[in-house]
Amino acid sequence: MMDPQSLVNTQYPNQLPAPFWFIEFFKVLGFALHAFPMSLWYAGILLAMGMSASGHPLARRASWRLMRQMPLMVAYGVNLGIVPLLFVQVGYAAVFYPATILMAWFWLGIIVLLIPAYYGVYLYGADQRQTDEPVSGWRMAAGVVSGIFFVVIGFLFANGFSLMTNLGAWSSLWQQQEVAGATLGLALNTSDPTLWSRWLMMFGLAITTTAAWLAIDGGLFGRGEPEAYRLWVGRFAVLLYLVGVAVFGAFGLWYSLAGWSVEVQTRMWYSGWVVLTVLTALSPIGVLALLGALVLRGKPLGPWEASAIGLAQFIVLLLNAASRQLVQNLELSAHFQPWQMPVALQVGPLGMFLAAFVLGAVVVGWMIFQTVRSLGKVAPGEP
Amino acid sequence: MHFPWWYVPELTSPMLIALVAILHVLVAHYAVGGGFFLAVESSFAYRTKDQEYLDYLKRHARFFILLTVVFGAITGVGIWWTIGLASPLPTALLIQTFVFGWATEWVFFVIELTAAFLFYGFWGKLPVRLHQTLGWIYAWAAWMSLVLITGITAFMLHPGRWLEDQSFWSGFFNPQFWPQVVARTGGALLLSSLYVYLHVAVTEGQGRLRDLVENRSARPALLGAILITLGGLGWFALLPESARAVMSSAAVITVLMMLIFVLTAVVFVLLYVGPYRNPGWLSPGFAGALFLFGIAAFSTGEYIREAVRKPYIVYNKVFGNQIFVEQVPELRQNGYLEGGVWTRAYVAARYPQVMNGRSIDEKKLLELPQSDQVKLGEVLFQYHCNDCHATTRGYSAVGPLLRGWSRERIQHLVEHLDEGHFFMPPWCGTPEEAEILTSYLETIALPRPAGMLPARAQLERP
Repeated sequence: MMDPQSLVNTQYPNQLPAPFWFIEFFKVLGFALHAFPMSLWYAGILLAMGMSASGHPLARRASWRLMRQMPLMVAYGVNLGIVPLLFVQVGYAAVFYPATILMAWFWLGIIVLLIPAYYGVYLYGADQRQTDEPVSGWRMAAGVVSGIFFVVIGFLFANGFSLMTNLGAWSSLWQQQEVAGATLGLALNTSDPTLWSRWLMMFGLAITTTAAWLAIDGGLFGRGEPEAYRLWVGRFAVLLYLVGVAVFGAFGLWYSLAGWSVEVQTRMWYSGWVVLTVLTALSPIGVLALLGALVLRGKPLGPWEASAIGLAQFIVLLLNAASRQLVQNLELSAHFQPWQMPVALQVGPLGMFLAAFVLGAVVVGWMIFQTVRSLGKVAPGEP
Repeated sequence: MHFPWWYVPELTSPMLIALVAILHVLVAHYAVGGGFFLAVESSFAYRTKDQEYLDYLKRHARFFILLTVVFGAITGVGIWWTIGLASPLPTALLIQTFVFGWATEWVFFVIELTAAFLFYGFWGKLPVRLHQTLGWIYAWAAWMSLVLITGITAFMLHPGRWLEDQSFWSGFFNPQFWPQVVARTGGALLLSSLYVYLHVAVTEGQGRLRDLVENRSARPALLGAILITLGGLGWFALLPESARAVMSSAAVITVLMMLIFVLTAVVFVLLYVGPYRNPGWLSPGFAGALFLFGIAAFSTGEYIREAVRKPYIVYNKVFGNQIFVEQVPELRQNGYLEGGVWTRAYVAARYPQVMNGRSIDEKKLLELPQSDQVKLGEVLFQYHCNDCHATTRGYSAVGPLLRGWSRERIQHLVEHLDEGHFFMPPWCGTPEEAEILTSYLETIALPRPAGMLPARAQLERP
């Protein structure tokens, strides 16, 4: 049995360009921001296909609305995914690269699957004007294939990130598919019990986010829809959220009880961090309660209620991202401690990024504000 | 050696980078130049109240978004993916050095994406001034992302003063920065015109609209051609001496240089005699030929840009086989297998008899049975050579390259890699390792072709 420590390269990179907390902050924030739209394609596309196939006209309308928004969700979701992936390579290069290289073909497969999955989303939405009508067979096929590809992509991501902390498996995975010490890049971390529970737990969380989004959309962007639809989508969102909570709870429990090592369990359940663990576990129930209370009023959700649900769901995702980060650090701590790396602070470039970040937020905000303000006030093409 | 090596039979894993990168740049340049095309032309169409042209521009914007936001963006992520897999050490170096450059580029991506969706999604529903502003915001944000990524990629060819001070700014504003920004800006303008020609020729029938597009896009295309020429000259003038020497020393690069001159000249001439001087020539066949010549020139240029860096990935910092320049003396003294995390672990697991505590005893390598020496020689080949050479078949395969070589000659080559060919890295192992690598190479070297006169035996006779 090879010592996992012997496979960790600590020679380079051997310093950080910013304090570790800064890298962690953007990694966690970036993942939470990414997770919102990512959840919509991860669970939302297959749900939308199911709703479309159900024959229920309001379900079809909800499906149509979700799929019409999906190209934007994929675009922003992929874009926001760059942030955590950039910072994971800054802080965790020593474990990120070996894990992904061992499964190189599958890791590269994410890109190969993502392109048709993304085009499939556009194809599904092409010329779909009749919102309550059944979609044609080939469009449904495009949507289903996209949905399946995104679920597979989620599985491959779960493989990469579980393998990143499962250093004990590196040696055997390497030796099973090596050619003179080089890897063929055909390993998958399927023997790791945390892989399946994490993947399915995230699927449950994605169902809750999809449910929350349907409610948000009904209250914020779907105000022009008939009241019957807005009432229905609120009730449906509660039921769907309940299903999501059940899946998240079941697989989350499996993940934390069977997947965590004794050290991780001790820290997450029997130290001050238990507050974070409990909040992460229970926060979806809080959103479900909020959503249920709002829907039980018997009125369609308005923009404020929808925004409150959006914020609450973002907090759920943020808590999840923070807990994941903590667990990741605990799992790695025996072999790799990036928080102990010296910092060679790049003050000027850091300032440039922060300035660009603020400027970018202002420009993006301005563009959206001006567009929304102008809508309906101007005749087409009017100067 | 710091990370596991990904073995891709015949192709070699770094060639996947070239493949993905070329696919990406062909769309990424259009994402920049096409942004300027849409901003300039929609302003023109609004000003001249040309509704037919505006309608065409909207159709073009849809094509533009479908190609750049999906294929362009995902292949961009794909390059990042592939370099991390096939070239992890230089990728780690780039990310450590330029993380905030990349993060800033990401901000511009977000601006680009938002502007593109608003510009297209609300076409005809916004005040003209706001619509035009969105188009221009897209164009400038896209150009800024070109500038930012050029600083990082040009760094690899010539890091300049960064080698002394390791400063972000020295690395970013490297000697190759401005020439490449100029050339890439020109490339974006030229390539976008070729995309526009192809799109309009295929989607629109002959008539006023096609003539208008042809005429309007000729000037940016020719401006692009001038910028490419100026940037290319600057690129050549500011190349490190080794990179310039590669062009005349490696036969394949020499041929490709000739090819790129010919292809570029063909594109320039076709642009001049076609859209510029003779509007109305633009048929789908003509536009298609122009486009194919254009992407062939671009792809060749990108390949040359990568290839002239040899023997480095980052000039004077990281060799093609992913070793820091400063590591070489230590590796030559202590051993290549010993210096690599994964090579040392391999030897410790398979050949514990050569380990002395946690280190490899180099002398004991030659005490191993011959078959084990060959096996370890193959390990050395994977980690020292496979970045640029396949084994017996495929990309720059060593077997055919060593055809008919004697053991002595192979070993001399191994020990003096950079003397025979300055565009190869130096040998980075001990004499014992050179010997076992030679043993492996001997097993894959092909024999001298039979039937050649005069026979070797005849020549060796007094």
